[in-house]
Amino acid sequence: MTTRGVPLALAVATAGYLAGAVAALLARSSRGARWAAAAGASLGSLAALVLAVQVLVTGAPVDAGIPGLLAVAGGVVVRLDGLGAFFLAIVSIIGLPAAVYGAGYSADETTGHLRSLGFMLNMFLFGMSLVTCAGNVLTFVLGWEVMSLASYFLVMVETGDPETQSAGLWYIAMTHFGLVLLLPMFFLLSSSGGGASFADLRLGAGMLTPAMRNVVFILAVLAFGSKAGVVPLHVWLPRAHPAAPSHVSALMSGVMIKLGIYGLVRVTLDVLGGGVVWWGGLLLAVGSVSALLGVLYALMEHDLKRLLAYHSVENIGIILIGFGAALVLDGYGLRSAALVGFAASLFHTLNHACFKALLFLGAGSVLRQTHTRNMEQMGGLITRMPQTALLFLVGAVAIAALPPLNGFASEWMVFQTLLAGAQIPRPELAVGIPMAVGMLALTSGLAAACFVKAFGVTFLAMPRSERAAQAREAPLSMRAAMALLASACVVLGLGASMTVPVLYRALEGLGGVSPAAAAATPGLWVEGAGRLAYVSPPLLAASLAVVVFLGWLAVRRALGRARLTDTWGCGRIGQTPRMEYTASAFAEPLRRVFAELYRPAEDLTVSTHPESRYFIRSITYTSEVHPWFEAVIYDPIIGGVRRASTEVRRLQGGSAHLYLLYVVAALLGALGWVWWS
Amino acid sequence: MEGIFARLVVLAASGMLLTGLIVLWRKGVPAYIAAFTWQSWLLSGMTAAVGYLGGEPQLYLVAVILLLLKGIALPALLRATDRRFSTRRELLAYVNTETSLIVGGMLVLFAYVLTEPWMAMTKLPTRAALPVAMALLFVSLFIIVSRKKAITQVIGFLMLENSIALLAVVGTYGVPLLVELGVFLDALMGFLVMQIFLYDIHETFETLEVDQLARLKH
Repeated sequence: MTTRGVPLALAVATAGYLAGAVAALLARSSRGARWAAAAGASLGSLAALVLAVQVLVTGAPVDAGIPGLLAVAGGVVVRLDGLGAFFLAIVSIIGLPAAVYGAGYSADETTGHLRSLGFMLNMFLFGMSLVTCAGNVLTFVLGWEVMSLASYFLVMVETGDPETQSAGLWYIAMTHFGLVLLLPMFFLLSSSGGGASFADLRLGAGMLTPAMRNVVFILAVLAFGSKAGVVPLHVWLPRAHPAAPSHVSALMSGVMIKLGIYGLVRVTLDVLGGGVVWWGGLLLAVGSVSALLGVLYALMEHDLKRLLAYHSVENIGIILIGFGAALVLDGYGLRSAALVGFAASLFHTLNHACFKALLFLGAGSVLRQTHTRNMEQMGGLITRMPQTALLFLVGAVAIAALPPLNGFASEWMVFQTLLAGAQIPRPELAVGIPMAVGMLALTSGLAAACFVKAFGVTFLAMPRSERAAQAREAPLSMRAAMALLASACVVLGLGASMTVPVLYRALEGLGGVSPAAAAATPGLWVEGAGRLAYVSPPLLAASLAVVVFLGWLAVRRALGRARLTDTWGCGRIGQTPRMEYTASAFAEPLRRVFAELYRPAEDLTVSTHPESRYFIRSITYTSEVHPWFEAVIYDPIIGGVRRASTEVRRLQGGSAHLYLLYVVAALLGALGWVWWS
Repeated sequence: MEGIFARLVVLAASGMLLTGLIVLWRKGVPAYIAAFTWQSWLLSGMTAAVGYLGGEPQLYLVAVILLLLKGIALPALLRATDRRFSTRRELLAYVNTETSLIVGGMLVLFAYVLTEPWMAMTKLPTRAALPVAMALLFVSLFIIVSRKKAITQVIGFLMLENSIALLAVVGTYGVPLLVELGVFLDALMGFLVMQIFLYDIHETFETLEVDQLARLKH
């Protein structure tokens, strides 16, 4: 069933993105290019949001397409079902503020840059939307590649910077790695069935042997995992996110890596139908490791955007913990608990998109003023940019999973899923699930610590550099975009009990999820051995508000008697930024605790006065943490590829005769082979 | 009648192969052009003969076009090119004359071995010429690979076209006229493109030795 209005929204969304792309290219002035791109992207995402909401509300999938386009491969087919609509909604919810923010953020760029930036931004959003709407393999791969290539060019905006070049190379290599595995996965699925639509793939998957299904699953984990950024395939994230403009980082981290999750859910749950316990166990393990390593490396970062990028690795891990645990529960027949888990992972996907995009936009506002990503040169920005600071704080509280914001709601559901796994009487799960719970708990705690550092060092105390001291509040377009995302974080947190039924609707019809089961599963609680674990975010928020109000009253009473003065500086007169707590110092205890993992390279240089060594002129302390396991895994691969390419290069001798000889030898060889056999 | 026809065809095809081998053995572009001219005339004559005895009147048209294009026009163009670039008489090769001839002989043997199953299959009176045509194809390829001068490579390329036409005529009594015309045009276009390349190579490097192109690498 399709109503007339629904394809209209689809057409408007497509037209909006494409018109935005073309208009940005044709724009005469810098201002024109910025606002043309933003207008096209806003129109496109608003229409796409309308479409997604309609599908989620009515529950009826939308079918459309251009079968004539590339008919050989099946044509472009659009089929938007509940799951796709949910992810399309994520694309749109983040796409709109990112586009508005981008118009203000990129004001300093040259017109030529802005044209390509606007074009690529619109194509990026278009590609991501197409992935969620794809009804067959061709459309999916088409959208996937448009998304990957557009984001590659967006990362490479500052082409002159060697760091950006390296980031771009890593990113494009990992993207191609994913695609190389994606294609055989789809071929395996479609080889036994007829066509290449997802419905055909579902039929085809049913006819595969269990061993082949396992191969398909492993390929899916590697292909989509490289896009989602699970450890150890996350290497491109901390490189590419800082290199891109901030609103693009927000889109990449908030939305694009989520499409890796979308692909994984689509293939594992929808096409393959789930149901294999060890798949869930693998995802649970990968997720736990990603979550913990992500947050541990984030703690050691002093580059604000790299820190956020590592937190994306962490949150992808949390999403996978929820998804993996749900698959395990599903495999043991605990349908209702599994459903909570699937919903938890989707919920966290949405929530992470909101708060991570908010944090990247906040970081962008800060670095546009301070012109550095190094936190050690920020500080004191709360007085210069109070609104940005407040909005960043909302994002930080949400990502630290503190109630009553949205990060808490979804992590709570993930915990509930894990605890429900305690019902399964299997020794490996009796060990594995508590370990996952422990790792998730540790991750949450460390994430909170990390954002105390990020917010404290960036916004509090005194400015550490001249630039930070002269920072000014971000323009209205940027603040409005952040405010939109911050309100989404609050609404999703307080209205969690309203959001969760929508998630069940998105999951309807996937794997073993029946509409009846979806309707019967209640909001935020599960039955765990006769106990009910219920939590109401609004109630929590209310009690928090009461506590805060009482505390405020107490402080006010106390302030009546107190006098305001400078912080005590051990008797020294005058405070300087050098007395402040630095980000390195804050992270030092954890660096010691996890020294075996970090293996930090430390260097302490003390230069003394030539007359007496008791007079110290300067102390330089540097400590660097390089993820050593990246070197262990990637160095042999890179070295091998390089050696192989050098060998292959010999074929290119530079002589036309040699090339002709290859042709002749190939011909003679082929003829000889035919004759022989 | 049948027997004479078969012998005639083998004779003409062998003559064409001989002209191919001449290129491996003689030095000097005029000799190559002469060999190519002879080869084209032989091909044209044989096409006409197959058309007459095989009852395929459209092959007459093919024969006339072959004669005009490959027997008269292209040799004239080649001679003009040769005069313009005043190439040295001694032509360079990667493989010396003796080895070239040995390799040529091996290629002919290989062609005979290769076409054996094909000859067992077909009942055409022209089948005895099949291995010869295949051998000419290999020899032409060998000319292209082993000679350094671009103009020799052009001649090798034209001989390759001739051998394909020969193969078509003796193997199937000629492919449809349209395809044949396509191949002619293809050959002509290829020749013209190569002429331009010859000119450019000469302008850029002051020589027609193709191995100088290696400097373009990197």
